Amino acid sequence: MPLVRETIATFIQNEGHKVDVSPVDDDDGVSEILFKSRGQVFSVTTYERDPGTYVVSTAYEVPEWAYERTQTAETLQTVNEDFPDITFIMAHDGALFVASAEEEPGSPEAFTLSFWETVARVREAGASAIERIVDRTESKAAAEKFINSFMRGDQ
Amino acid sequence: MSDPLTPIEIALDDEGLFFTRDDDEDTFRVAFKSEGDRYFVVAYRDDPNFLMIGSGWALPAEIELFDALDVANTLNVRKKFVKTALWEDERDVLFTVELCVRDAEEVRPNFGRLLDVLRDTAAEFFEELRDDEE
Repeated sequence: MPLVRETIATFIQNEGHKVDVSPVDDDDGVSEILFKSRGQVFSVTTYERDPGTYVVSTAYEVPEWAYERTQTAETLQTVNEDFPDITFIMAHDGALFVASAEEEPGSPEAFTLSFWETVARVREAGASAIERIVDRTESKAAAEKFINSFMRGDQ
Repeated sequence: MSDPLTPIEIALDDEGLFFTRDDDEDTFRVAFKSEGDRYFVVAYRDDPNFLMIGSGWALPAEIELFDALDVANTLNVRKKFVKTALWEDERDVLFTVELCVRDAEEVRPNFGRLLDVLRDTAAEFFEELRDDEE
């Protein structure tokens, strides 16, 4: 019987994408498959002991100028309300966040049937989060600029 | 003549996609898949400034050609870059981006965007037809 990671990696390759497969925990049969789609690197975590469960993730870097840990956490929480099945985790002290979907399709074959829909959902949630983080920072910057110039009597 | 599609191969590599070459005496051709959908890039030996990126789809039997033409026309008015064309006899629909370039290297930094717009146009085309049917 083929390994779960091989079935999924072969599927992604047949769909046209190069993959990089690496074991995360050999004893537990946990592996990570990396591939790129629409310019974004995605990771699929597979479990040989649980061929019905998968995690699809992608990381987004928060632009340095938009970096503000508390606000990013708040924004991710708000976005999570719109995408309740997507988990957001901040990493590197808030310099990036990871958007993940845990899927339980039941089998590798079932997972491949909804694979691109899952990828699209994770992408949409992540893109929405980064958009709001940037928007919020821009609004805040604009407000600060206005307040500062107002205090200096320019307005 | 040097290979005009080398920059496209590099762009596909950057996108993490496999590709195959299928050149003949008239054309240079690259074929590839992205998220399971097939695409091609073509350049003609006798027209070194022309480059076409595209994808072709079969129209499902239940779709009326008139409806498909109507949607194609709407998309042609609205969409940047992409031309939607129907091959009525074959019942095929073709989405293409046709460019006039000095060198395909000019396309390389925008390749991801062009691929996105091709993909989105095809998705919208079939979505519109599905909505019309319902």
